[in-house]
Amino acid sequence: MTILDRRPRFARTAPGGGTPTRRGPRRSPRPAPDLVAAVLVLVFFAVALAAPSALAPRDPFALDLVNALRPPSAEHWFGTDESGRDLYTRIVHGARQSLLIGVGATVLSLAIALVLGSLAALAGRFVAGTVNRVVEVLFAFPTLLLALLLVAVLGPSAWTQVVAVGVGTAPGYARMIRGQILSARNSGYVEAAVALGHPRGWILRTHVLPNAIRPLVAVFALSVGQSIVWASSLSFLGLGVAPPAPEWGALLDAGKIYVTQAWWLTVLPGLVIVLLALATTTIGKHIQSALEKGEK
Amino acid sequence: MPKKRTALALAAASAATMMALAACSGAPAGPAADAQPVADGTIEYGHQQEPACVFGGWIEQAYLSYQVLDNLVSLDEDHEVVPWLAESWSVSDDQLTWTFTLKDGVTFTDGSPLTAGVVAYNFDHWLAGGNSTAQVWLDGYYASSRAVDDRTLEVSLSRPYPRLADTLTQGYFGIQSQQALETRSEEENCASPIGTGAFIVEEWNRGENIVLARNDHYTSWPANAKHEGPARVEKVNWRFLPDPTTRTASLKSGETDAVYDVPAIEWATVDGGGYELHKYVTPGRPQQLTFDTVDGPFVDERVRKAFAYSLDRRSLVETIGRGVIPYEGNGGVSRTTPGYSTDAAEAYDLDLDEANRLLDEAGWTRSGGEGVRTKDGEQLTVVLPYGAGSIINSDGASILQGVQEQAKASGFDVQLVPVPQSAFFSGAYSTPEEKDISAGYWTSVTAGILHINWRPTTPEAPNYNNDAFNADPVLENIILRANSAVDPQEQNALYGEAQDYIAEHALAIGLYDRLSTLAVSPFLKGVWQENAQGGPVFHDAYFVE
Repeated sequence: MTILDRRPRFARTAPGGGTPTRRGPRRSPRPAPDLVAAVLVLVFFAVALAAPSALAPRDPFALDLVNALRPPSAEHWFGTDESGRDLYTRIVHGARQSLLIGVGATVLSLAIALVLGSLAALAGRFVAGTVNRVVEVLFAFPTLLLALLLVAVLGPSAWTQVVAVGVGTAPGYARMIRGQILSARNSGYVEAAVALGHPRGWILRTHVLPNAIRPLVAVFALSVGQSIVWASSLSFLGLGVAPPAPEWGALLDAGKIYVTQAWWLTVLPGLVIVLLALATTTIGKHIQSALEKGEK
Repeated sequence: MPKKRTALALAAASAATMMALAACSGAPAGPAADAQPVADGTIEYGHQQEPACVFGGWIEQAYLSYQVLDNLVSLDEDHEVVPWLAESWSVSDDQLTWTFTLKDGVTFTDGSPLTAGVVAYNFDHWLAGGNSTAQVWLDGYYASSRAVDDRTLEVSLSRPYPRLADTLTQGYFGIQSQQALETRSEEENCASPIGTGAFIVEEWNRGENIVLARNDHYTSWPANAKHEGPARVEKVNWRFLPDPTTRTASLKSGETDAVYDVPAIEWATVDGGGYELHKYVTPGRPQQLTFDTVDGPFVDERVRKAFAYSLDRRSLVETIGRGVIPYEGNGGVSRTTPGYSTDAAEAYDLDLDEANRLLDEAGWTRSGGEGVRTKDGEQLTVVLPYGAGSIINSDGASILQGVQEQAKASGFDVQLVPVPQSAFFSGAYSTPEEKDISAGYWTSVTAGILHINWRPTTPEAPNYNNDAFNADPVLENIILRANSAVDPQEQNALYGEAQDYIAEHALAIGLYDRLSTLAVSPFLKGVWQENAQGGPVFHDAYFVE
């Protein structure tokens, strides 16, 4: 005899539901240091996004030809570029574009993935099969290649980067969402709900979609960092925001010619991209593990 | 443990990066003073850009075709025209008939002989569109050509053009086999044109390299060659390395023996590293900005002048060019062009007061003396597209960003649009409605380039090389008189007058002189830059132990 797991991982509280188990007095957990650091980094960049001049009051485009290619110093924390522009100021002011491109691409990617993944899992055989084949074809292209293709068609710009990275990364997420929905649909608690005679739409709304979509919270946090890296890669290849915009990938691209003489022009924007990607990844992982703990 | 592993991985990656960078900056040990030449060998050469065909109207094609095709004449170090395929030439008293006597016994690499008839066929081929740049040079002057006999070519002109021989030294005028042009496909002649030159195209791996193999039967070297006989090396591996850092690093690491276009930032380290540096300031049109005079704000001469007065071009170029790239104020021709006008070069210096006065007078206003100016509700936004990586290199792009920033001070909003090579050569941003400023250069041995760039454009006779889109009969008349002036002094004075006119009306302003630079390993000797356009010459090159 098969024992069905009748507990939905996430569902509305049924009337007359059981009382929570007492586990004794709970100590408030000490936050992990990596999480604290990640949150601090995100807060810094959130301020940079909202009010960059509060962190870097200089003009990110202002030329200072006398001070061209100066290494990091007390006057110029991150050094200056070939035209004497302050690199720290440019990185802070570039956060808005880089973050908006990263978040925008992630939102677009997950929205596309949600539609495609749901159709692939829930639609009729013909539609699901067609969507599956389309996703598989898109999946066959490496993300960067797909993004390059879109930039070639649409022309380089910030919006193109959002679309290119969003569409380029969507197939992977679509597959993941499809798997989550199928897993939820085939779970014991859904079988139980079907056996109890609940309507199909109610089961979908109450059990399947919430449980399938919940992991996306963690995925969203994880993929923002990844999208920023992808978008920076496009800018680095000269296929993103036009110079002299201080978008981080564009800064890397502009600095690469000076890599042997002025290391700070590539190393520091590169480190900032890595730092932000690490921060969002760390937060994503913590959200993921918190959700997993909640399921137990 | 995972944290330790991460830290170790980061440390290892940093160390590897530093080692890689250090490896790239190492100087080569030079050859001994009594090092002996080595026969044969393959020159690994790193070049910046890859053209669509070996032969064509772009300087990048001229550099390549120079290795494969011979011209009628060459230019020596004193800028005197010297024999190449033509051993002598003369011009009639009325300046309308040029007679070239060809070398005897020269054959193309497909075995067909070089005859006057073949050269005449080439002239007609260029004029029919076989080479877009050769076409615009000769258009309006060339009437016909005929073979008087196998070795005597007669070229008839409709108007005197005393600098014809100088013009023919450029790579756009390489002579191809008539047999190949008539019997082979366009694609074949594009990828491997058949000439009488020192090398033949062995293979072209698109996006990677062109392998040039020695023409063992070469007999037609120019009078200014450094040695007589076929090329000393067996092959040239002409590699396309568009990234300047990679290109320079390839030389420093010994992966290449010579590279083209050394970035200004690397000049000092390459110079101090024992490499041989060559710098050629290309004559012709410098890297400059031409204003759209028929559509947009620059129709008003005052706005054009205001733009010129709002820039400190010299400081920009001298800082970003790091003393390697010369500042050029003249928008007509560069300082190495015969007939150069210093007055035109010095016409506009930074003068924000004057720029603001002119813009106020032209009706472009702004409140509080800051921000972008407006007129009738329209902002003073101007579009400046440029061929990113093809026409404007990394240093040039930084200079244009400086122009954009400096122009802000007087209320211009300059929109820079980097245009990829494929889009640029497909005609993107080529109409007056699409752009307000054009950036670019056009190399040329004489100031005759002014005729190409400033010949009036009209609906009946469009001139697609006129970036001002104007039709100025006064300017045209000065240039036409200059083109046909026999006396060099008179000619130079007229060309100077044309440049002064361009400056006076702020039709174009200069930025910097285009350079053709080469860095060569100390183990490779005899590489030189040809004197018409500054391309590398490998016919005389050889390795030493």
